Amino acid sequence: MNLFGLFQISGSALAAERLRAEVATSNLANADTTRTAEGGPYRRRVVVFNSQPNSQFRLLLANTLSAGAAPPAGGVRVTQVVEDPSPPQRRYEPGHPDADAAGYVAYPAISPVQEMVDLMGAERAYELNASAVQAAKQMIQQALQILK
Amino acid sequence: MSINGVSPNLPVSPPGWRQSAIPLPPSSSFGETLREAVSAVDNLNQDAGYKVTSLVEGDGVDVHDAMIAVEKADLAFQLMLQLRNKVVQAYQQIAGMQF
Repeated sequence: MNLFGLFQISGSALAAERLRAEVATSNLANADTTRTAEGGPYRRRVVVFNSQPNSQFRLLLANTLSAGAAPPAGGVRVTQVVEDPSPPQRRYEPGHPDADAAGYVAYPAISPVQEMVDLMGAERAYELNASAVQAAKQMIQQALQILK
Repeated sequence: MSINGVSPNLPVSPPGWRQSAIPLPPSSSFGETLREAVSAVDNLNQDAGYKVTSLVEGDGVDVHDAMIAVEKADLAFQLMLQLRNKVVQAYQQIAGMQF
């Protein structure tokens, strides 16, 4: 772990949480979207977080230095943004241009409350990781104090 | 049952190690080391400057990326400053020696 390893880990988490907030916001914004480029209503999107794989070199180094120990800590990253497979809500609106023959319009299955909670979760997680950056900074500054 | 004594041709180093496979780097001078350290700090500084410029120009750099780069540059500079203070202090102590 180098001097700025903590920054790298927290930075990756900050980027991931920001993307999560973006996706939640996009879901909120498109809660009533009935037309998309792919056709049909907008589909709710969900991020998938994946722990960042360590490079082969770091794994090998850690294994050589202490065999059997847990692999070194790594960051997180969003590997994919998947679409929620739940079926769209059907509302009876015969006058809507996207209504089918029976007069039903397919709306995205998005609950604004759920998206707001997800957004708040992302916001708090961002805050936490920003605090971790502060902690890393203070640790380095404490170490520099030793020299004074 | 006979126990073999330690024979002199047993490999001393672990099997995975090759002896003197990597030549030691030529010892660099103090000035060389210092120059490398200062240029490393300067690199971090330039990186921070570049990221902040990109951020205010709207080039899609994440805010936290720019802030972390600035913090890195700040901490590296503080470390360099402390080392410089220590070196100057040592020099002054030697220069002030009384015989």
